[in-house]
Amino acid sequence: MRTSFTSEAELLELVAEAGRDLPGWMIAREAFLTGRDEAAVRDEIARRLSITRTALARGFKEPQRSVSGLTEGAAAKLHAQVNPPVRDELWNRALAYAVAINEVSACGGRIVAFPTAGSSGIVPGLLWAWRDEREGELSASSPRLQDAVAVAGAIGAVIAARATLSGAAGGCQAECGAAAAMGSGALAWLASGDAGRAFNAAALSLKNSLGLACDPVAGLVEVPCVKRNAFLAGNALVALTLDSAGIRSAVPFDEVVSAMKAIGDMMSPQLKESAEGGLAMTPTGLRVKAAMEAGFPDAPDS
Amino acid sequence: MSAPALFDVIGPVMIGPSSSHTAGVARICFLARKAFGERPGKARVTFHGSLAATWRGHGSDKAALAGLLGFHPEDERLSFARELAAREGLVVEFVEDRSVVAGVHPNTLRVELEGGGRKLSITGCSIGGGAVRVENVNGFPASISGELDAVLVRHRDRPGVIAGVTGVLAEAGVNIATAASRRNQKGDEALLVVEVDGVPPGAALAAIRALPEVLAAVHLPSVVS
Repeated sequence: MRTSFTSEAELLELVAEAGRDLPGWMIAREAFLTGRDEAAVRDEIARRLSITRTALARGFKEPQRSVSGLTEGAAAKLHAQVNPPVRDELWNRALAYAVAINEVSACGGRIVAFPTAGSSGIVPGLLWAWRDEREGELSASSPRLQDAVAVAGAIGAVIAARATLSGAAGGCQAECGAAAAMGSGALAWLASGDAGRAFNAAALSLKNSLGLACDPVAGLVEVPCVKRNAFLAGNALVALTLDSAGIRSAVPFDEVVSAMKAIGDMMSPQLKESAEGGLAMTPTGLRVKAAMEAGFPDAPDS
Repeated sequence: MSAPALFDVIGPVMIGPSSSHTAGVARICFLARKAFGERPGKARVTFHGSLAATWRGHGSDKAALAGLLGFHPEDERLSFARELAAREGLVVEFVEDRSVVAGVHPNTLRVELEGGGRKLSITGCSIGGGAVRVENVNGFPASISGELDAVLVRHRDRPGVIAGVTGVLAEAGVNIATAASRRNQKGDEALLVVEVDGVPPGAALAAIRALPEVLAAVHLPSVVS
């Protein structure tokens, strides 16, 4: 089996040659690479999906608090809101779910790096919101939801091949930006079953987070990361909406990712997870850093 | 670079908050423990660069302890690793090294283990998304990702040792993905790292240990579930 690709174009050519659909081919490739059968790969996707669902439930049920105190119960507040100003169920669920999962991550709970821990709420938040609002019969063991994960993985794999999925190497565009592209593509697949539409939605989404700095306060994966999971879940839903209206990205996905790589290379190291620029260097950021270096004397359990 | 595997993108399953500062550290220390082969009597973990600056907020010490206790990086006991290490009598000294060294990855840690008259020193980098690269084992340059199972063979630099090891693996039907041997100097000690597909059988490991000029051989399990 030919498994090597570095672009959407190459990937879709391999998929077409094999006569499979995109998620089916991604799962066959994974089976080949890891020496498992396709059913075992699907079982592993299901296991990972279940872990995200457990994290989601935990984020709502137990208000989270991090060692630093920077992350504190935002998901519980969103969950408790009875009359949200934007009245769309998918939208409100996606935002709250993304924050819930990412708060659990920030507070040391068990999650799936999706594609990283700092961006771990976006893709599963979108998928579970879609499931709860649109297709209630979906579960971790539904092939359809597993396919959506494989589509998200295909988009992330092309980003990893052409650019990076590391904030230290490419800024937050490579983490939350990439996650939103993956999530919008996964939902576009659920909505259309069309690989081209999935990559189009991903291109639309990624274009809107190019250049995003990774400037976490005190270097912790909390500020701005946790709330950014909600913002970028929203970004993915905007991309989904545009794609479903038939709006094409003027710049194709592969070129957007190359631009993301070029921007990442131009960005100062101070804006790439070093906590030496941006929000990290505000008076508030520096105060948190000093508290951390003193070992968080005010924390209940440091 | 070719596109990574699906579960490298959708993964790892891990304990938060940081794939690089928590999961990566847990993986490197897990590999160090497996390479050492038993619970060390004494351990020191040195955090460099970004890890030195932020290890407290990321629970990198808990991640290191979990790895040194032999917990798989996705094991939820990582959250209680401080208490569990104390109960097991595992004492680890954590050192911050803030010096900036050119060419060294910003998320690097050094793990030094001692016990049973043996010493092991491993240097690894957490290169993003939980991915790691062990770059040095006891002074020998290496490149171990932990994605595949590996066999580490310490041997004397003599003709035929590598052929002997690969012969045993071939006999056992084990496919070799990568192999690299480094020596200190001609005729001295060398380290052979063989990454393989699947788990090498225990009998193959025993056969490798029995080869002439082989000083030690250990199985390094994959950190990927």
